[in-house]
Amino acid sequence: MTEFLDLELQDSVRMPWNVLPGTKAHAANCAIPIAAIYTPLKTLPEATPLLPYSPLRCRSCRSVINPFSIVDFSSVNKIWICSFCLQRNHFPPLYQSISEQNFPAELFPQYTTIEYETPAPQSQDKAQPGSSNVFLFVVDTCVIEEELGYLKSALLQVLGMVPENCLIGLITFGTYVHVHELGFGLIPKVHVFKGTKEVTKDQLLDQMGFFTKRPRPTTGVIAGVRDGLSQESVARFLLPASDCEFVLNSILEELQKDPWPVPSDQRAARCTGAALNLAAHLLGACVPGSGARIMAFLGGPSTEGPGAIVSKSLSEPLRSHKDLDKDSAPHYHKAVKFYEALSKQLVHQGHVLDIFACALDQVGVAELKVAVEKTGGLVVLAESFGHSVFKDSLRCIFQAGDHDLGLASNGIFEINCSKDIKIQGIIGPCASLDKKGPLCSETVIGQGNTTAWKLCGLDKNTSLCIIFDVAKKESPDIVSQSANNQFYFQFLTYYQHSNGQMRLRATTLSRRWVAGPGIKDELISGFDQEAAAVVMARQVSFKMETEAEFDPIRWLDKSLIHICTQFGEYQKDNPSSFGLSPRLSIFPQFMFHLRRSQFVQVFNNSPDETAYFRMILNRENVSNSVVMIQPSLISYAFNSGPEAALLDVVSIAADKILLLDSYFTIVVFHGASIAQWRKAGYHELPEHQAFSQLLQAPRSDTDAIIRERFPVPRLVICDQHGSQARFLLVKLNPSATYNSDTQAAPGGDIIFTDDVSFEVFSDHLQRLAVQ
Amino acid sequence: MATPRGPRPGAFPPNHNPNALANNLQNLQINQSNRQELSSAGSDGSPWTSNTSPFGQQPPPFAAGQPLPPPPGGFQTGPTPPAAPGQSTLPPDAMPTRPAGLTPQPLPFASRPPPPGVLPMGSAPPVAPGQSTLRPDVMPARPTDATLASQHLPFASRPPPPGVFPSSVGGPAAPPYSGTAPRPGPLGLPTPPQMSSNGPAGNGPPAFAPGMMQSGSRPPPPMSNLPRPSVGQVQPPTMLSSQAPSQPLQTRPGFGGPPTFVSSSVGQPGPPFSTFPRGPMLPGSSNMPPPPGSLTFSPPVQGTVQSPGHRHGMESWPQQPPQVGLSHPTPGAMQQQHQMFGMPPGPPPFPNQSMALGQTDLSQVDINHIPPYSSSSAVILHETRMDNHANPPPPATSTYIVKDNGNCSPRYMRCTLNQVPCTVDLLSTSAMQLTLLVQPLALPHPSEEPIHVVDFGESGPVRCSRCKGYINPFMKFIDQGKRFICNLCGFTDETPHEYQCNLGPDGRRRDADERPELCQGTVEFIAPKEYMVRDPMPAVFFFLVDVSMHAIQTGATAAACSAISQVIPHLPEGPRTMVAIATFDSTVHFYKLKCAQQQPSILVVPDVQDVYTPLTSDIVVQLAECRQHLEMLLDSIPGMFQNHRTTDSAFGAAAKAAFLAIKSTGGKLLVFQSILPSIGIGSLSAREAEGRSNISTGEKEPHKLLQPVDKTLQTMATEFAEYQVCVDLFITTQTYVDVASLSVVPRTTGGQVYYYHPFSALSDLAKLSNDLRWNVTRPQGFEAVMRVRCSEGIQVQEYSGNFYKRNRADADFPAIDCDKAIMVSLKHTDKLQQESGCSFQCALLYTTIYGQRRIRVSTLYLLCTNNLTSLFVAPDLDTLFSCILKQAANEMTSAPLSRVKDKATNVCINILHSYSKFCVTKSSSALLMMPEALKFLPLYTLALLKSHGLSSDGRIDERSFWLNYVSPLPTPSVIPLIYPRMIAIHDLDEKESEDSIIPAIIPLSNMHISDEGIYLLENGIDCLVYVGASVQQNVLTQLFGISSVEEISNQFTLQQYDNLLSKKLNDILNEIRRERCSYLRLKFCKKGDSSGMMFLSNMVEDRMPSGAAYSDFVAHIHSQVQKKKA
Repeated sequence: MTEFLDLELQDSVRMPWNVLPGTKAHAANCAIPIAAIYTPLKTLPEATPLLPYSPLRCRSCRSVINPFSIVDFSSVNKIWICSFCLQRNHFPPLYQSISEQNFPAELFPQYTTIEYETPAPQSQDKAQPGSSNVFLFVVDTCVIEEELGYLKSALLQVLGMVPENCLIGLITFGTYVHVHELGFGLIPKVHVFKGTKEVTKDQLLDQMGFFTKRPRPTTGVIAGVRDGLSQESVARFLLPASDCEFVLNSILEELQKDPWPVPSDQRAARCTGAALNLAAHLLGACVPGSGARIMAFLGGPSTEGPGAIVSKSLSEPLRSHKDLDKDSAPHYHKAVKFYEALSKQLVHQGHVLDIFACALDQVGVAELKVAVEKTGGLVVLAESFGHSVFKDSLRCIFQAGDHDLGLASNGIFEINCSKDIKIQGIIGPCASLDKKGPLCSETVIGQGNTTAWKLCGLDKNTSLCIIFDVAKKESPDIVSQSANNQFYFQFLTYYQHSNGQMRLRATTLSRRWVAGPGIKDELISGFDQEAAAVVMARQVSFKMETEAEFDPIRWLDKSLIHICTQFGEYQKDNPSSFGLSPRLSIFPQFMFHLRRSQFVQVFNNSPDETAYFRMILNRENVSNSVVMIQPSLISYAFNSGPEAALLDVVSIAADKILLLDSYFTIVVFHGASIAQWRKAGYHELPEHQAFSQLLQAPRSDTDAIIRERFPVPRLVICDQHGSQARFLLVKLNPSATYNSDTQAAPGGDIIFTDDVSFEVFSDHLQRLAVQ
Repeated sequence: MATPRGPRPGAFPPNHNPNALANNLQNLQINQSNRQELSSAGSDGSPWTSNTSPFGQQPPPFAAGQPLPPPPGGFQTGPTPPAAPGQSTLPPDAMPTRPAGLTPQPLPFASRPPPPGVLPMGSAPPVAPGQSTLRPDVMPARPTDATLASQHLPFASRPPPPGVFPSSVGGPAAPPYSGTAPRPGPLGLPTPPQMSSNGPAGNGPPAFAPGMMQSGSRPPPPMSNLPRPSVGQVQPPTMLSSQAPSQPLQTRPGFGGPPTFVSSSVGQPGPPFSTFPRGPMLPGSSNMPPPPGSLTFSPPVQGTVQSPGHRHGMESWPQQPPQVGLSHPTPGAMQQQHQMFGMPPGPPPFPNQSMALGQTDLSQVDINHIPPYSSSSAVILHETRMDNHANPPPPATSTYIVKDNGNCSPRYMRCTLNQVPCTVDLLSTSAMQLTLLVQPLALPHPSEEPIHVVDFGESGPVRCSRCKGYINPFMKFIDQGKRFICNLCGFTDETPHEYQCNLGPDGRRRDADERPELCQGTVEFIAPKEYMVRDPMPAVFFFLVDVSMHAIQTGATAAACSAISQVIPHLPEGPRTMVAIATFDSTVHFYKLKCAQQQPSILVVPDVQDVYTPLTSDIVVQLAECRQHLEMLLDSIPGMFQNHRTTDSAFGAAAKAAFLAIKSTGGKLLVFQSILPSIGIGSLSAREAEGRSNISTGEKEPHKLLQPVDKTLQTMATEFAEYQVCVDLFITTQTYVDVASLSVVPRTTGGQVYYYHPFSALSDLAKLSNDLRWNVTRPQGFEAVMRVRCSEGIQVQEYSGNFYKRNRADADFPAIDCDKAIMVSLKHTDKLQQESGCSFQCALLYTTIYGQRRIRVSTLYLLCTNNLTSLFVAPDLDTLFSCILKQAANEMTSAPLSRVKDKATNVCINILHSYSKFCVTKSSSALLMMPEALKFLPLYTLALLKSHGLSSDGRIDERSFWLNYVSPLPTPSVIPLIYPRMIAIHDLDEKESEDSIIPAIIPLSNMHISDEGIYLLENGIDCLVYVGASVQQNVLTQLFGISSVEEISNQFTLQQYDNLLSKKLNDILNEIRRERCSYLRLKFCKKGDSSGMMFLSNMVEDRMPSGAAYSDFVAHIHSQVQKKKA
């Protein structure tokens, strides 16, 4: 495993197969696709230099020079050969001085991933620190006073943290949408739009008077300063934080609950869709093409206007998974269609939609998902604006320092690869730029049919799952060509750094491919089971959402059995002979937990929650994703240090503290005895300092986890047999149930479930694999 | 509520006024001169304000509106002064010129007891015109000035006559005339004789023609002399001459005989001239130039005069009234009036003929008639019933104090005919119409008793169970009071038990005199619950201000804001007063005024195609809660939009949005609009250019431009009205705004259009402030419904005015105020019984601004007649003409202009034809016979034909405004609108002796305008100051602080300087403003440029492109009448 981690450290990439099946037929046999989980902005090793010039690109395929390029120093005019298309390229004058002893950094073997920072030619706009980041807050006021109070204080706190050069705008909404004109001075000014109506951008330009002072350009214009919009009119709505702090503070302080009366048998009229639509238009008019985020704070379901997810009448319940399956959610498709259009617009403008959904009810994350994902937005789901999940997550976004999110914007992601490899698509927070080319596979998954994607918003953790196809047909001469048995991949990420500069990160990979008989062991040697589990998880989630009548359990089981059959060691029809290489050994366990996870078992979750979990899964890196699939369990006891425990009900003991990290939730579980002691207050007594330390240990670890994670996980502290203990029990392998023969050990626990335990699962697996 | 005076007993102390008025006036002045002062003044001093609190509104009204009685004695003064001026100004010769007007009047007056002087006047004027007309040569001969002079004369004619004559006018002119004038005799007065002679001359108008003839025939010299140049000026042209022959010029009946007219006939040939001379007093009056005559006359007759002089008369009256009224009318004057009025009523006076004999009744065509514009200065004391009969009301323009003893005051309801024809045939034979003009909330005179408020408790007022008529003095109780017979439908009802009372020996209830509803023509009932569909609405004032670039740049926004902030303190206090403000350009901006917030905030509604109100609460807020925020806002609004460059204006959308905000309560929406609405709901396009070109090419019918462009605004207005929202529109513009389309909204919702064009922030601010203040402080009511019930046999055919027609039977007013009149046309459904009489009852259910629901019931009981002659004795010319005017205005939008004009002319012809055919026994075709009461009908008709509204070359917007202005206009304002009042102001200081503030009125003819003179002309909307080309510099300096005419700019504002002349001018202006309840817009006109032309276009007696000269017109009428008869 460690070699994979090293590779990840260098190139931010994890691949299920690090030795690739060389032909289409082999690849099809592998069940798990050739894929890469790439984290474009992952922090690079410290030594990596930032190159202050533009990269050298191949004349023919536009790929960037890299350590795998062959440089020919012999000729007078030094030449480099592109590793993808074999094109011979001349060096520009800048590179005159290179020699075998004097390489530029981008040719160093260890810098397969390197960053260029180029002073953008049109830097007048883009490099302006002022326009580096725009935050447009979209605030729901259809909430009870208490919630509004929490929200206000959270926002006020955050305002103090916004860098001074960031532009800020504010939209509040309820029954109507209020666009605040922060730059008006004098007295607060608000533009009020009807919530039931979808305004077009042209209307907005007209109605908000953007072109009253100068002639409006002819059609086909997005607006923005370059397109004839005056800086002053932009400054009416978007102001540097330092300029509008006072105004914003006073507006927020006077912000009141939506005043329109709500009959007792109805939901509040909340026009989320109209508000977001306006926010998008506003940014589109003011700062198109430069990084901007719409941060939507939602306190309930949208009931009015476009994008409504439910009617106002309380007699109509919010849609459930069952309704969606039966296609009996009347608003769902319309809303999704609306948000798809919105996402297209946002992508076009290069803007991000972030969602902070804080309500006991669903707010429509399932419908909004498309817009958030395609723009690479952040999403936080909490029960209340007073909840730490919300408050701390929000703070995370604006905090500076080691744990900042490294928010970047306006990214464009491109892939070059050897011609025998085709790209099926990407599952992750990005949007296709529809740049079709010979590298596109005919099979499409996720955002496919393109070799370039837009990442409106991305951060240190944003991870894309790129799925490839091997196009090479099996033929004898290929096998013999051992001289060139490498596949090359190049990932280029062009993005706006949070400092406002445009950067290009280039990652170039080379992977060996194998073909012909006897490649099983070679393939196994390059198998990364964690990455494989994550790819499976993203794939199954994606298929569940997009394919009608898809049976995820069956699909997962089939894949797993196929893998086991392919790569297991066994005698046919003898289950007990079955064995797996260590490279593969945990994979069945991952699959077992994946089958039980919230990604596949949606029964207990609302569509919003499911959408939320999947969105996070789709943007997280491998190690975090693995935690989502199979939570980690750490046990704390008096006599030993913290140690990993089996994710099984047997790990429960009366004198232990368990720390479960399922990514979204962190559970600190006190065994019955520990709980009693704590209630008795022993940890406050000097003579029981050890107990105090024991109690403190998991909390410290928790804090460490929380600090590094976004969104901030929900912390559950519970005691054995307490009601909250279910957060732990639901994740454990039910090896002991009310049904099982074995009684729980003293102090242990059983789980009331009919689910199969891992033992049963693996028995079945072995039996099926050897058939 | 608004009930003006009535309800609040305390409110109107009869007397309170004098001082108040005076104060008010001053305030007004201040305003005028300096707008800054104005504002300040307004706030504190203005009468309105002060009064406000209690009745708030009412007080102001009085002050402003109705002028209090002017100082007694006014009359006299009036006359005299004129004379003096006249004399001074005019050369004796001039006098002759005037003649035209003379004739008719004299007679009437003559008939009346009044001063002899009167007569003369009339006669004299006529002559002049005639002459002028006739001889071309002559004309040249006469200097213009002469004309002017003559005018003066008229004044002279007034009472003072004797003195007068001698002095100026009389002197010169007199001699000659006197000779001619036979009439004098009739008049009785010494001078009179002369006068009389003039009188004939007066007829002259028509006379002109004749005169011309004569002149022609006669020795030009005399003519020339007499007539003066004036003649020349006048139109005399050929036309006249031609007609002349046929027509009678004569004016004075006296001479000729009753009818006067004289056609040339008159033998007067000789006389005519002589008449001209009108020697006596008339000089002025005499000739056509009605002016003189009118002036003169009026004084004498008052009663008589009134009609003619209305406008003038009115004006003058008002002044005097104030004084008189307050003091209490002089018995004498009062009596006279009574007589005047009274007389007719009683017996159907005399048949016309007799009149004729007497003098006037039939009046002749004489132009002289006209002269009578007299202004009556005395206050008339009017009892609504005398001798158990309805007492014909005094002229609408006079100042009168009503004692309600059974019939309602003529302020509230007037009928075109003071005796109702029993059959429809009789009515159609007369060619007149039976129409009521009701003004349910009219301002009473301060000296009148307030209207009694009667509370019947839960059960509500006693009503007829069949027709639902309200209890009134004419319900007849029988059966010991146990039952009563409805005077409207004749049904016999049980008297409610608790309302029973025994009858006295006279058949009246014993308690009749204690119960206002049984002895008064107008009472107010407190409406019980069942008269309400909801709680009475609060008083909601929603101000909507245009802040588009144009409005900001022209200062219209600042002016509106300043006007609003000045009016805020005048709004009624208390929790029932709600206010809101919004502004608009291409979007609509609401303001959240809730006081809990540190400062108000702006809520912009950007979608002007589909508007909405951005908040449910906090936009319309109790005044007490938001006063500070409101003031702050009004201060900052102009600055806030200073840098906005939005050229579009979304009037329709803004109005709709504001409507939505007050939909739940209803209320008043006051919109300040500066530019053509170009965006959003109800946006309009500039039709004017199109219209102009169409006029020239004749492709389309130009009157289409007077119609709303489409139904959008009408639909919107209907919705407003349904929810009791009344829109008042203040148009402060410098361009075309399509008033025709916009005005639909105020018109349908019971509001009103104010038009400031071309708007000038400098000179119009004061007017805007005053208009707004009057608008919100005058007596008014909300969510009102009005219905008029009539006796069996008569039915309401149609209501017309500014209101919403929810159904045929009622008129619905989201808001109604004291200035709104409704025309109610009636039709016969059956024959009436002569002995039973005929009742009309107008009931207005409304909510006062204080939230009380009331029913104001006015009942009018008139005699019926089968006799055509008595119909002609009894018509109410003012009302009749008001109806003709309103009908013409209504037709303007649907018929070509020429047809409207023809129709108006034909009305006049038909009436006179009917009269001369059926009521004049012996008549000569040479004479145009007119009933005394209608003697000014031709003059008014001519003035109407030449009015702005009916001129084809006026700006479309101005014409539209005119048409709308006329729609709800009450009778007393109609006459001055058509025949404005003109006075000379350059010689004010020479008229020390006058008691009345406003000097004598000058007839509207070029003849009376001198190059050295400065004249002021007002019609209730505008006030034009005309400066002649060679005015003495010191006069200019004294009045305006400038040294030459060239320094006057259009933006000039009047200031008061420390000299007598200036002080008097300011006094006059204030007096006029007070009378009119309107802060007239002051415009300066210089001879020789376009403003001068505008001024001269008001000289309706002259020949101008838009119509014939008065004399010609009378001749035309006469010939048409003759043709018909034949």
